[in-house]
Amino acid sequence: MHLLALSNLLIVVMCGILVFLLRIRSGKRPFVEMWSWASLAVFVWGLGGLIATTALSERLAVFGWQIAHIGTILIPVLFSHFVLMYCNLKKSAWLFLIYSLACLFLVFNFCFPESFFGGVRFVFNEFFYTNWTEKKGVLYVIMYISFYWILLLYSFARLLIFFFKSAGVRRNAVKYLILGSCIGFLGAHGNFLTIFVDGVYPYSNFLIAIYPVIIGYGIVRYRLMDITLVITRTGIFVATYSLILGIPFILAFAGRSWLTSVLGESWWLAPLITSTVLATVGPFIYLYIQNRAESKLFHERRRYQNTLRRASAGMGRIKDLRRLTSLIAHIVTRTVRLSHSMVYLYNKEDKQYGLRAIKSNEELANQPPKVIDAKTALIDEIKKYRRPIVTDEVSQKAQDRNDEKLKEVDAQLKELCAAVIIPTFVDEKLVGVIVLGQKLSGKMFTEDDLAVFTILANQAALAIENAFFYEDMKETHEQLFKAEKMATIGTMADGLSHQINNRFHALGFIAGDVLDTIKMKKNVPVPDEIKEMMVDIEHALHRIEDNVSQGGDIVRGLLKYTRKGEEGFAAVDLDALIDAALEMTQFKIKPGQLAIMREYSRDLPKIKGNFTQLQEVFFNLVDNAFDAMMQRKEELKEPDFKAIIRIEAEATPSGKMKIVLSDTGMGIKEEDKEKLFTPFFTTKLSSRKGTGLGLFVIQRLIEENHGGKVQYTSEHMKGTQVRITLPAYS
Amino acid sequence: MSKLLIVDDEIDIREFAKRFFKKRGIDVYTASGGDEAHEIIQDQEFDLILLDIRMDEKTGVELLREIRESGNNVKVIMVSGIEEEDMIKETEALGVQGFIHKPLVLDELEKIVLAELKA
Repeated sequence: MHLLALSNLLIVVMCGILVFLLRIRSGKRPFVEMWSWASLAVFVWGLGGLIATTALSERLAVFGWQIAHIGTILIPVLFSHFVLMYCNLKKSAWLFLIYSLACLFLVFNFCFPESFFGGVRFVFNEFFYTNWTEKKGVLYVIMYISFYWILLLYSFARLLIFFFKSAGVRRNAVKYLILGSCIGFLGAHGNFLTIFVDGVYPYSNFLIAIYPVIIGYGIVRYRLMDITLVITRTGIFVATYSLILGIPFILAFAGRSWLTSVLGESWWLAPLITSTVLATVGPFIYLYIQNRAESKLFHERRRYQNTLRRASAGMGRIKDLRRLTSLIAHIVTRTVRLSHSMVYLYNKEDKQYGLRAIKSNEELANQPPKVIDAKTALIDEIKKYRRPIVTDEVSQKAQDRNDEKLKEVDAQLKELCAAVIIPTFVDEKLVGVIVLGQKLSGKMFTEDDLAVFTILANQAALAIENAFFYEDMKETHEQLFKAEKMATIGTMADGLSHQINNRFHALGFIAGDVLDTIKMKKNVPVPDEIKEMMVDIEHALHRIEDNVSQGGDIVRGLLKYTRKGEEGFAAVDLDALIDAALEMTQFKIKPGQLAIMREYSRDLPKIKGNFTQLQEVFFNLVDNAFDAMMQRKEELKEPDFKAIIRIEAEATPSGKMKIVLSDTGMGIKEEDKEKLFTPFFTTKLSSRKGTGLGLFVIQRLIEENHGGKVQYTSEHMKGTQVRITLPAYS
Repeated sequence: MSKLLIVDDEIDIREFAKRFFKKRGIDVYTASGGDEAHEIIQDQEFDLILLDIRMDEKTGVELLREIRESGNNVKVIMVSGIEEEDMIKETEALGVQGFIHKPLVLDELEKIVLAELKA
């Protein structure tokens, strides 16, 4: 087989595979489909050429060239059509013209091959080539000039314009297009040279085998890959292997006579052994040269990739979650020189990814969101894809495929000002995402970058999981310690309260008795000053009595939560419970002062709990809400203010009852929120007599005695919402 | 004259309650503990007993049980510090007129006691 046939065979194989890949991976992108047609045309050129250049008869060779010319005519047309599509240009008239021209040439090619390309002649002692002469084929020259100069240069110019206008991945892909078209252009003109000038061998046909592949790679492989890297790697590969395989060849051909004189009959052993040895060490040499070349070329990148690798190895040692997340953000931003980076971690309770750390070198275009909901398109995409997500890629895909979901993902990425998002998975769980901004240098993220980020993300995931575990453990420890402390306090409180109560009781009796005596002797005549003094004493004794009652309330309040256990747990009806709690407030709240809106279904499941304790809880909540609303009424004096408590309730799928009480009261001041559940803390005015134990006792009763949960949200001047979770009775 | 027995281990409570009710023409006796009270009850009859539940040597509930076991149906008001549900149930079974919770101001105690004595 001669070289031209070999190059044609190569074209057929390469383009065949490429067309196949393009058809299955087009992803409904019209320009990819267009490229597959162009590649098919190249395939046809190769096939026709293969038939023509291996044909033994003249007739078959003419037929082969007719087939090959389908490719010759259609390649520039389809390429041009592709470029227009790729650059989003609409030129229907222009397309109509070139397709019509192509049809005309095709008709001539099939009906008058003799006058179109001049039939065939045998050249280089190897194959039949076209036999064009000035006299015969004017049309052929017209085709050559219009398609291979005007059309191709026009398309090429369009590509260049597009290159300067585009950014991101697309710009990178256009680089491949330009490189590919240059190679194709050279290949084609080499072939025409053989036609127009005698004695030029069409070696350039090999270039045609390469060009669709390069472009195909550029458009199909959406992954970002630096073209310099590809060229370097391919270059080194080709150079290393041609050297390794070339040396034995040269040895065999050029040094044959010398070898025969030295080794005699078994001269062939020398090239054989050399090639075996070289083939063995070849991969090592290749890797070595590649490493050296890349470390020279990509010195900067290597530096930060190494830093990141080292950093990720050290991460596991950090147990504090806050420190860990800010370290990740800090390292990534600083070493890769990014505009910013953020770390979001999953929060089981509210099913959201919360912003845990942020580090930025530049002012961000918009404030990054505090949370990313777990049920958004972005998180779905990350979970599905499981690899770093590149914003450029997503935007392009979204645009090309007109995919609504991807557009949503794209919008979310833009909101985060993200260039890349790295997911951190532990097993199947997405524990967090690391959001990276653009590189300050304006360079692109490369495949290698993403590989390093993936390592970083994996290490980070482990470290985060570790830190979570450690935090959990610390919390459990603290809870155990607290429980123990509470048990001790409980025993102490019991004895203490008895003692204190007795003192109060006695004090009350002493005061009461003296008061009683004073009252009885009121009518006994005494001097005025004594009378005045008696009034003072009476007042003082009344104060003692008041303090005794209040002290008693405090002791009682404290004792309530030291009592534990599930004794007296039964099915409690929410409606009845609220009725009972409201009954307790009767002495304080007059009819019409407060509206209660029960916004729950009457067929809710029952609560599992102690009625008396829960009654106490709801009484306290209603009482607090009422006080807050009265305070607002007094302070703000809004004309249309209404005191309303809204009670909502629902059963959760996990067998719990969720009850929400919202009021329209003063709300809680930011500075008071921290101390809300602390015993003896009260914001109520002394005239309203707050013991500061209400919420403290509520929390204990619900969380410790019932295994439930109390949470609240409050906005000063707007109102408070208390959310209670209690076990449902099954 | 109505006869009232106050059982409490706190001397101040006994003393001042005694003074208070004496002024209302009630014959008041006191006992500082279960055993002392037991002896007094065996000697004479009372119209009402104010009985503290939690005392050092013998609890009010134990004393109440002894009283009832000896066939005495005297009226009893229990004085308790904390509302112990199980104790309330137990004393209710033994028959009492009511409960009062410490601390209590004398005026209110007076109302309860006088109402009980009149009944």
